[in-house]
Amino acid sequence: MFKPQEMQRTLIIGAKQELENTIELLHTLEVVHIIDFKPSNAEDQLHLGVPNEKASGVSQSLLKIRSSAQMLAFEREKQKVSEKLSEKQIQHDVALKIQDMELSVLSLTETKTRIEEHFRKLDERIRQLQPFVPMDISLEDYQGYDHVTVYTGYVQDLKKLTEQLPSITDEYELFTSNADDQMVALFIVKTYAEDAGKLLNDCGYTEVKLPEGTGLPKQFIEKWIEQKQELDDKLLQTTKDILEFRKRHAEFILASEEYLAIEVQKAEVPVLFGTTEHSFLIDCWIPKNQIKTVKETLEKNMQGSLYIEEIESKHDDEPPTLLKNPRPVQRFEYLLELYSLPNYRDIDPSFILSLIFPLFFGLMVGDIGYGILLILFGVLFMKAFKDSEGFSNIGWYIIIAGVFASIFGLFLFGDMFGLPFLPPLGEAGEAAYSWSTLLGIHIPIPSMIHKMEALGMTQLLVISIIAGFLHLGLGLLIGFIVERKHDWKHAITKIGLLFVLTALALLIFVMADWTIGQWIKPLKGSIVAPFLWNIFIPIVKSGFSFGGLLVPYVSLILGVLGVVMIMIVAGGFGLVEVLEVISHLMSYTRLAAICVAKAAMAFAFDMIGLGLILNGNIIIGILGVILLIFMQLMVFALGALSSGIQAVRLHYVEFFMKFYKGEGIRFNPFGYKRKYTTTE
Amino acid sequence: MAVETGIIAIGAGVAIGSAALATAWAQKTIGAAAVGAAAENEKMFGKGLIYMVLPETIVLFGLVIAFLLWTKM
Repeated sequence: MFKPQEMQRTLIIGAKQELENTIELLHTLEVVHIIDFKPSNAEDQLHLGVPNEKASGVSQSLLKIRSSAQMLAFEREKQKVSEKLSEKQIQHDVALKIQDMELSVLSLTETKTRIEEHFRKLDERIRQLQPFVPMDISLEDYQGYDHVTVYTGYVQDLKKLTEQLPSITDEYELFTSNADDQMVALFIVKTYAEDAGKLLNDCGYTEVKLPEGTGLPKQFIEKWIEQKQELDDKLLQTTKDILEFRKRHAEFILASEEYLAIEVQKAEVPVLFGTTEHSFLIDCWIPKNQIKTVKETLEKNMQGSLYIEEIESKHDDEPPTLLKNPRPVQRFEYLLELYSLPNYRDIDPSFILSLIFPLFFGLMVGDIGYGILLILFGVLFMKAFKDSEGFSNIGWYIIIAGVFASIFGLFLFGDMFGLPFLPPLGEAGEAAYSWSTLLGIHIPIPSMIHKMEALGMTQLLVISIIAGFLHLGLGLLIGFIVERKHDWKHAITKIGLLFVLTALALLIFVMADWTIGQWIKPLKGSIVAPFLWNIFIPIVKSGFSFGGLLVPYVSLILGVLGVVMIMIVAGGFGLVEVLEVISHLMSYTRLAAICVAKAAMAFAFDMIGLGLILNGNIIIGILGVILLIFMQLMVFALGALSSGIQAVRLHYVEFFMKFYKGEGIRFNPFGYKRKYTTTE
Repeated sequence: MAVETGIIAIGAGVAIGSAALATAWAQKTIGAAAVGAAAENEKMFGKGLIYMVLPETIVLFGLVIAFLLWTKM
């Protein structure tokens, strides 16, 4: 749970005629992570393998089926497949079938494109001819004159044209459309054409080219519209045919695509192997718990014709990472991988993340009302994004955080939507609003910590520091465990930092004595009481005064010891890490800060909303309810978002920096997750 | 007494306000760059988020000081 799956580096060596069967077996086993073979001078006997000769044929078929699917606008995710096809079924004449399908698809899509093309052409023609319809002149009458010039086009100022034309000549004929667009056709004797052209320009003339052809424009357009209608019907039919075709072949497309992808994978994998003229070598990582199965399967099926050797991994090896966690924790691996996949030698922090991330998240929200909203929101989120692994995981985090937020809201803060169940003691006026006074019934859920009071705020700060101390301490301990084998200097630095951290935490506890004193009171009379009151507290409390601050001797000793240890092993540069650990501890006060900021915002909105609702006027009351709901949703959204991000940050920055390296290589076993085919 | 309390309150306000401004300033630049990086390569999202939230510690220092002042009021 805390370490990635252990891997064994293994060599599989055999004669070339066994290669195909070996690949087949390894593919079905799906547990072998093959290392890319890189030829080196030392091993110049070995060179890179070549793909199986059938690779290019299979790739071509795969390409064909993918292009067919593309042409059919095939959406893989939307297909529901009732049964998986067996490999044997597909294998039989798959290439031929794909060829047939490609031809059909081509002819179908070609028909469609042709119709669309024709349709577009008709449209264009109609658009060109449309302006000439109102004039009702045959097209041939516009051209073919020796002494007459014809202008056809739009004018902006028709009035000016009709008024001034007679001043040029009276040897003209002007046709206008009665429509608003002011289309004109001017027939004028050539001698005056130039003057008329100038006048037209003055009137804002835009030429419209005369379409080719003979006859009345109206008749043409009627004919074309009829043709368009026919084409429309044809297009509909073709689209239907394509849909029908797609539906009928969906299963085949999916299954054969998968089958071919697998075949390509198998045919091309030899390029990862080292080969000589007659033999091959597979260098791979196999999970230690699988190695027996792999060996047995290979030996049984290949009658001992393969040589399998487990080799010792070298220090600079980079084994792939396969995380092994129970199902509920697995969901948190996503959050971890968003940062970086653990490398093989890292401690896998998924389990810690799965506990502490929702805890922090919940503490910051800390309100039963928002907690329940979070759970509902999380459930909706998971439902809405059930196809996306990442988003459904995020939904899951929100649900767990909601549970924690509800627990904290109920047992620690005793509040719902920013309002406490019981009024805080000794406060009067506005601040005395509470669910009990509001509903008129006594709800016996006390607030252990009042977020809105100075004492409560101090207590929350102390809780934050304690949480930070434990979290960072855990991180440093893990860091020590990881480093002690590789780098003793780093390991000692971690211990030194742990000393500094403890010194700092003790100092803060002594400062906050009056707030946490009451929490340990219930321990009086228990077994640990003598230790606490006779040894621990006197030791911690004996110190000297520094600027009005009691500095415990323990803190001083631990702090100095820690810094000296770090200085010895890491030199002056180590002091940066000391400063860093101090700022990281302070960083946990964000737990208190967001908790209080969100509560204060909610409380303020409650005051505004309740003030309006209880005002007596019914309309203002209704407005108040709407406003309150809106404001509460806003607080919820802001609070949930910032709490989530801050909880992530406390892990990514403060916690992970203490021990986590990441940048692992994902364990990628040779094989295929079959969805549409089976080997039976 | 009243004047003293007022001055303390102003001090607390300045402490958190200026720290928040500083944080905002830092985040403005980092945020823009982080979004750019994430748009080019989705894997940068995690790292971008970390860089983005780093300056938030500054405002927390402001908050702690403001709080310490508040308890003295």
